[in-house]
Amino acid sequence: MARIYQVPSHARGWLTLAIIATSLPQLVDGPWWQSPLLLLVLGWRALVDRQRLLLPGRVVRLALLLATVAATWQSFGRLHGPEAGTALITGLFALKYLELVGKRDAYVLIVLGYFVCATILLFHQGPLAALYVVGCLVLLTASLAGINYGDTHARGRQHLGVAAVMVLQALPLAAILFVLVPRVAPLWNMHLDSGQARTGMSDSMSPGQVSRLTESAELAFRVQFDGPAPAPSQRYWRGLTYSYFDGTTWRQARPPGWGERDTLYHGRGPAPDWYRGLRAAAGGPAWEYRVIMEPSQQRWLYALAVPFTDLDGLALARDLRLVADAPVTGTLGYRVRSVPAAGAGATLDGAERALMLSLPEQGNERARALAADWRRRYPNDRALVNAALGYFREQPFFYTLEPPPVTGDTVDRFLFDTRRGFCEHYASSFTFLMRAAGVPARVVAGYQGGEPNGDYLQVRQYDAHAWSEVWLAGRWVRVDPTGAVAPDRIELGLRQAMRNRSADQADGEGGAFGRLPVLFRLQQWADYVDFNWQKWVLGYRQEEQRDLLERLLGAVTPTRIALALLGAVLLVTGLLALLVLNRRRDQPARPLEREFRRLRQALGRRGLALPEAVSAAGLEAAVARRWPAATGAAGHWRRYFEHLAYRRDGDPPRSERLQLARRRRALMRALRG
Amino acid sequence: MQALDKALAQVGSVVLGKPEQLKLALACLLAGGHLLIEDLPGMGKTTLAHALARVFRLDYRRVQFTSDMLPADILGVSLFDPESGQFSLREGPVFSQLLLADEINRATPKTQGALLEAMEERQVTLDGLTRPLPSPFFVVATQNPVTQAGTFVLPESQLDRFLMRISLGYPAPEVELQLLAGGDLREAVRELRPVIEPAGLVKLVAHVGKVRASRDLLDYVQRLLEATRADDRFSAGLSPRAGLGLLRAARAWALIHNRDYVLPEDVQAVWPSVAEHRLQARQGGQVAALTQSLLQTVPVVRA
Repeated sequence: MARIYQVPSHARGWLTLAIIATSLPQLVDGPWWQSPLLLLVLGWRALVDRQRLLLPGRVVRLALLLATVAATWQSFGRLHGPEAGTALITGLFALKYLELVGKRDAYVLIVLGYFVCATILLFHQGPLAALYVVGCLVLLTASLAGINYGDTHARGRQHLGVAAVMVLQALPLAAILFVLVPRVAPLWNMHLDSGQARTGMSDSMSPGQVSRLTESAELAFRVQFDGPAPAPSQRYWRGLTYSYFDGTTWRQARPPGWGERDTLYHGRGPAPDWYRGLRAAAGGPAWEYRVIMEPSQQRWLYALAVPFTDLDGLALARDLRLVADAPVTGTLGYRVRSVPAAGAGATLDGAERALMLSLPEQGNERARALAADWRRRYPNDRALVNAALGYFREQPFFYTLEPPPVTGDTVDRFLFDTRRGFCEHYASSFTFLMRAAGVPARVVAGYQGGEPNGDYLQVRQYDAHAWSEVWLAGRWVRVDPTGAVAPDRIELGLRQAMRNRSADQADGEGGAFGRLPVLFRLQQWADYVDFNWQKWVLGYRQEEQRDLLERLLGAVTPTRIALALLGAVLLVTGLLALLVLNRRRDQPARPLEREFRRLRQALGRRGLALPEAVSAAGLEAAVARRWPAATGAAGHWRRYFEHLAYRRDGDPPRSERLQLARRRRALMRALRG
Repeated sequence: MQALDKALAQVGSVVLGKPEQLKLALACLLAGGHLLIEDLPGMGKTTLAHALARVFRLDYRRVQFTSDMLPADILGVSLFDPESGQFSLREGPVFSQLLLADEINRATPKTQGALLEAMEERQVTLDGLTRPLPSPFFVVATQNPVTQAGTFVLPESQLDRFLMRISLGYPAPEVELQLLAGGDLREAVRELRPVIEPAGLVKLVAHVGKVRASRDLLDYVQRLLEATRADDRFSAGLSPRAGLGLLRAARAWALIHNRDYVLPEDVQAVWPSVAEHRLQARQGGQVAALTQSLLQTVPVVRA
């Protein structure tokens, strides 16, 4: 029988802990059967260790294996893909612990554990997740150190220290590899079907929809401007445009007969006319910024004014929006150059113009009558828009988060009866009025505002907003009727605007806006860390790497990358080696030792090489041989040194150290004399 | 201390030309340790032991070890006394203040072991009767170099019981001339006058423990011990017991030199005789040279 090298008991604790820690994220996120499976395995193992049970035989192991595979199939309907694969490997990882007999099994288990650690990062990419994974690595490494420790009397705690030091030493190398190893595009497209409904904009707008968002303080996206950020009243983050109204709900729509190719430009192939027109008009000042978007499970991206990007993985729509090629399932970063003055190159003709004027056949007759009245009085479109805004400003309209529900002719009921509403009510009825008066108009949904935190802005769900755009003098002009009713909302943001309201409404704000200043500060700080993590670590993609490497290396050639990699790795390992080799000497020198060294070095500079192990008396003798005239001074120094070093205990007080230093200087003078 | 100088001069008058070895032997005695003298026959080992006994007026016995010797020949036997009806111990030669164990490596390990045990315990147990040995109690053992025929090598663990091992070596030509011209050495030893009484010797031994060893000095001793352990030319490093012995010997050396504190030079002076016989060189290295080399490499004052 082959000899089995046992796993020492002082390593077993770490191994068990490492298994629990690495499986934990999967227990929380994964299918329900992960926890019972791990409990079964750990319980069985515990009974085996108490010699109450035997390790499972081949048949039981096979049954458990098949059960795990079947459970994975049952939960996901497949065995491949990130979720199913991770669930399967985590289950098998637990099962492997039941097979652990000797050291060889422990090695397999630990290597498997490192792999399971990597799968954690598929689903969690935040700074805390990274820290957690490092913790798991330390635990796994502690088990690895433990099973390689022959001494049966070893203490478990020392393994953790060894592992922590090893992982710490590995971190600089990891950083170098992170920065320098060429990034390749993902080999397969990872579609994580997290399937969770997230709060956020939807592709249609009906009354009450945006106001629901205001209850959520969840982050929508973060923006970092290259220069100063635009004023709050300029921060209109466009996401969607709604051009079709069915009487209740506004929807996105394309003119009949138009396809996606007519309205979206992906940056591939010849640019359509409208894109060339936009480009041509894109002069003047611009805002340059970087947006880091939270997962929204949708394709809409948010940007200011007329956004230009490198169109890599996203497209510019004809209605001046950015659209991602695939739903945003993880955080997504993109750079934008927004030109406020652009948009002059757009056209609005034929079917598109018809769509922007379209209204339901009937309904909301009072609003139609009001629009017709305005049209008669103000032939000029701009005057008509001002009249409408004046109407909202002068009539008793109220801005409220809890508007009374309206049914039937929603526009009429709001405009003439309730007059209490939220931005979507104003945008919707204003756009309706414009179209009824024959002015092309559309509703734009997105976010308005953003709070500064550090050097970037946070835009949260409660910043959700809807406004209108009307076609005036050959271009789309933003008109925000909410601003006419509640200027605070635009200038100060929703939070501040609501805080200024009466106390009876304040109760509803607590959850969304955070009442505890300390907690709020902490939250902001955590968000700051998270933002920079997103920006510097997760945002370090192919292009960023290319830019950085070009700055560091000049041209990016495989040879240069390889040499830089080799050089950096050698440098780090060399430094670590020096550190390890020097550890023996790291005990700080005591005052007398320093004094002795000083004299030795001074004599060395005068050409007297003393052996490494010279004593005070040996030094005196060497000086007397070389400089007989200095014999007296040397003896003088030696006697005092021996007095301080050997005749008494403890470090000598300062006065005596100075005395010794004086005798040293006297000795050095005697050499010259 | 004048008395010690006088004692040294007295011993030096019969063991000619070996002042360093005499001082080491005296230091060994003052440190309360046993001495092993390793030399060829006829080098003056016996003379040295006898002279030491004389100047301290110690009760001196000499045992010539042979291969047919039994433990009882050293320790004694318990005899049944028919008159009193009790066992009584007839003391062997070990019940003395200074025992010269001549050619200890001629005896069988069993007999060697009996003596070495008595040295360590400072008492003898026979048939359940335990008797303490006299105080002070010193063993001066002599040993022929192991290459000689018919010897039993002392095992390492037993070598450790000897604080020091010294060897006298051939005398220098002029000393030898003096020796040849001189009279009967045996007679000269017998004429040596006691300088220090046994009680005084006990006091001196107690005084050795009070000689100051500062932190810097202890650091140096520790560095030396550490060096024997880190150096893979030795098969094993010095034990902590050896370290304590080294320090005690250095203290005695300082006392002989009339100092109440230890200098690194004291440690260096006793180092070879304390360390050499406890160390073994790996793959045929010269222990003496290796041990000595540590004094050249281990910093006296840490740089």
